[in-house]
Amino acid sequence: MRGLKERSGAVSEVPSPTSGLPSRAVLWLIGSFALLLTPQLDRLPIWLIAACAVLAVWRCLAQYGRVRLPGRWLRAGIMLVLISVYVATVRGRFSVDTAASFFVLAVGLKWLETRSSRDFYVLFFILVYLSTVNFLFHQEIHWTLVNLAAIAALLVGLQVLNAPDFPGAMKASWRRLGLLLAKTLPIVVLLFVFFPRMSPLWSVPLVSGEARSGISDTMRPGDISSLAQSSERAFRVTFGGEMPAYRDRYWRGLVLDYLDGETWRQVAGGGYQRPGRVALDGGVGDLGPRQYDVLLEPTDKRWAFALENSRAVSANVVEESEDLFRFKRPADTSVRYRLEREATENRGATSLPPAEARRYLQLPATGNPRARDLADNLRRRLTDSEVLQALLTRFREQPYFYTLRPPQMPDNGIDTLLFDAKRGFCAHYAGATVFVLRAAGIPARVVVGYQGGDRGAGGDYLIVRQYDAHAWVEAWIEGRGWVRVDPTAAIAPDRIESGLREAVAEEGSFLEDDWTSPQRYNDIPIIQWASLQLDRINYQWQRWVVGYQGQSQMDLMSRLPGGFGLKELGYLSAGIVGAGLLVASLMSAWQVRRGERRDAFRRIVDTWHLLCFRAGVPVRTGETPTALAERLGRAEPAVAESARLFARTVNSHYYSDNPTEGRDDQLQRLRRLLATMKKQMRRSHSTAGKRP
Amino acid sequence: MKNLFKNRWKRWVNRRIPRADVQLLSQKNIFILPTGAGTVFGVLLLVMLITGINYQNSLIYLTTFLLGAVFVGAMHQTHRNLSGLEVTLVQTGEGIAGEELPFRIRATAGRDNAIAIRLSCDGSGLGAAHISAGQAKDLTLPVPSVHRGYLRPDRIRIETRFPFGLLKAWSWIRPASYGIVFPRPVPAPDVGISVEDGSDSENSSPAEGNDHADLRPWREGDMSQRVMWKRYARSGQMVVAEWEGEQGSPYWLDFNAFPGTNHELRLSYLAWLVAERDRSGIPFGLSLPGQLIEPDSGASHVNRCLRALAVYGEKRPREMDSVRHGTRLQPDAAGSGFAEEGV
Repeated sequence: MRGLKERSGAVSEVPSPTSGLPSRAVLWLIGSFALLLTPQLDRLPIWLIAACAVLAVWRCLAQYGRVRLPGRWLRAGIMLVLISVYVATVRGRFSVDTAASFFVLAVGLKWLETRSSRDFYVLFFILVYLSTVNFLFHQEIHWTLVNLAAIAALLVGLQVLNAPDFPGAMKASWRRLGLLLAKTLPIVVLLFVFFPRMSPLWSVPLVSGEARSGISDTMRPGDISSLAQSSERAFRVTFGGEMPAYRDRYWRGLVLDYLDGETWRQVAGGGYQRPGRVALDGGVGDLGPRQYDVLLEPTDKRWAFALENSRAVSANVVEESEDLFRFKRPADTSVRYRLEREATENRGATSLPPAEARRYLQLPATGNPRARDLADNLRRRLTDSEVLQALLTRFREQPYFYTLRPPQMPDNGIDTLLFDAKRGFCAHYAGATVFVLRAAGIPARVVVGYQGGDRGAGGDYLIVRQYDAHAWVEAWIEGRGWVRVDPTAAIAPDRIESGLREAVAEEGSFLEDDWTSPQRYNDIPIIQWASLQLDRINYQWQRWVVGYQGQSQMDLMSRLPGGFGLKELGYLSAGIVGAGLLVASLMSAWQVRRGERRDAFRRIVDTWHLLCFRAGVPVRTGETPTALAERLGRAEPAVAESARLFARTVNSHYYSDNPTEGRDDQLQRLRRLLATMKKQMRRSHSTAGKRP
Repeated sequence: MKNLFKNRWKRWVNRRIPRADVQLLSQKNIFILPTGAGTVFGVLLLVMLITGINYQNSLIYLTTFLLGAVFVGAMHQTHRNLSGLEVTLVQTGEGIAGEELPFRIRATAGRDNAIAIRLSCDGSGLGAAHISAGQAKDLTLPVPSVHRGYLRPDRIRIETRFPFGLLKAWSWIRPASYGIVFPRPVPAPDVGISVEDGSDSENSSPAEGNDHADLRPWREGDMSQRVMWKRYARSGQMVVAEWEGEQGSPYWLDFNAFPGTNHELRLSYLAWLVAERDRSGIPFGLSLPGQLIEPDSGASHVNRCLRALAVYGEKRPREMDSVRHGTRLQPDAAGSGFAEEGV
């Protein structure tokens, strides 16, 4: 018995003792892992990528027998070190981002102990889910293709794993996979369109807790100029009617009303709010003439950007105080929302409550004495709106410069900016202006957002990039309400009329650190064209494929006859799956039939042979029907007569030159005889069975 | 409860797959279920779908549907991989109890390739074999044996998990033929030999009544080996020992020569003795209750003896499980002549 056990143990799944898995399968797995990491390279910490690379290379070399896989203690040590580094860097924050890093870490560590096909499947599952997680971060067309390619590589790896020594496996695997996908694609597309897009079942962790590049809720004088070095997309806008002129494209994001030393902050709204459910329904149907759609890239912040005097149309944005818009859940993935510009300007031109006024007049107790003097001066001579004008005139007429390379202004920065250096970026000027206005007793606030935006390919939408980030001022003028004041417009009109590129053209500092950005090479038409076309494709992809969610689905369904609701869609999807399965099984049954379609006589004779076989009289090679019938007759006397007749009919069909009967009659007769024989055999056995 | 279900399932399968040495795999006798990995994959798809719903992510929906379609497609692929395959038990094996008997099985692929086919039986199995469409391949499956007798595996499993290992399709062939398992040889105590070596035949002959030996004078025609040469040296008389029913002679291997031991051990002793005799080239006969094999030598004789030992007292398996048709097919003619008596 012991020998038995040993032997059955030896016949396990894996043939090779050294590493167990076919090399090529492991290579496909590692290749897929590499593909799945590329979309995350910008997010993952360097140490993790390096560790994964080292571990994967180690595994590769081990596969080819160059090195050994680490022993248990070394493995435990590596695991311990990497996991402690991970825990130290994550520090208890939980988001999809950190979970994804953990997945990556898990895969990296798993490379050291991929020995059996079981480990292989564990990796397969983790990697498939990793691709899913990737989709939360990147939904552009090219990243989609990368992800799907990685999944395809995984599936090929599985095929190699399951038939490692099959000749020509690689080509056959791809072919098989391709055919499989081609055959099932219609079902997949139908399901994609008709599968009911339910609203989220529960609130899920944020995709990322890390701050992304983009404007933040504090502003120090240098902040926005560093943002100006980035050509990443902030959002894209489609207008229902006319696009506003460049100088009117002020996208308000948030208001900073509290000056804390050098830093502008928000006084209110800092408290933690539990993130709501994901709400991506950004309104459907054609845009009204004053409406516009914004497709915001993920910011991980709650604020939405809007033109002045807007009103929320889609349900996923809410209007809050200060004419600002907020999401219920931070924009952790790209969000589309819809707004409408109101026809009447200057709404809310009522009075400012004293508490509000106090808030917008706050200043630090000390600092920047020259700016305060200037304010006092103006205050004494002029009314509120005249103070504004005077300040702007000062910016326009004195040699102030708009620059991406402002000097350091450590102490009393506003004084230095206004009276000595006179060189700064929008954030410097906005902060200084609010300071002077407040010192002069005029309620004022810094507004942060974007200004501008370039037309995309075809000219039908706007692309707003990070370098369009901007800070400006709003001042409360009695009788007029909040008035926008933009010191940058006075200093560098180019910035407001046509964008940063022109504004800093002389300086040559536009995207000077970003060599890879296509926007840097805007003067080369082909690059410009290609980058815009790519953006357009991605924009359409994001709007129509990625953004195909609840309301868009309902909108599409409402255009189809039938008036489908979610429930009907559920039935429909089930029907599609059912129909798909049915068609597939019919097809395969048909293929089987086609394979077996043979001469009708041949089939009947085969059935007869089967019957003989069941009766214990298997056909011998070269046996004639008559001989077989004789033997059958001896074994089962009850059917002897029918068998003889059957054999004669078969003979007369196959061997007689001019059969007496027609072909169909013969077939008929053979079928009848076959049925008779079956019946006779059954009867004789049932009577035999009754006898003891 | 579980047992009941298991038995029912077994009966149902047995009805569906009759005993036969040839089995054409088709829709009727192929079973398909997800493997462990396939089940996990299903759970993974569900988790992906929920992720897609909660994050309102269309691309996750798309991936989920794609992988779901791959799973369903794989179901067809796996099924087709087995469908049309014809499995024939070409040759049954012989061997010693406790060892594995080689069963030769020919697999002939139908219209489609049959990739990564695995045969297994009672915990022993073969690695994956690939058979191109229309080709045939002979596979030798070791079937473990426990005790001597007829060995007919209840089921030999033919399984494939290709292409992705997420689903397994399998079927069984339930052979009608059987292999023969010889008793495991156990060195026998010196019983037969002691007659030759003993100083006195009376002392040395076994005390049991049946094995009582008569001594008679030598006559013409007696084999010289039977002469008690020691007695001759002592007394000058040529005396021949004659055992009852020619038993107990060194040229006869006798079932009854081992008093006090059970049948199986006796058979093991005899198997060992057969091998001994074969090695020394001395002709020998075999005497089993109700069966006698005349002294002879040579491979076919040895085989005949071993077979007789193997199936002694064993019932030959029936052709069919159900009693519907008698046992007319005699797949292996050897050994059929003396296997009917029961003890």
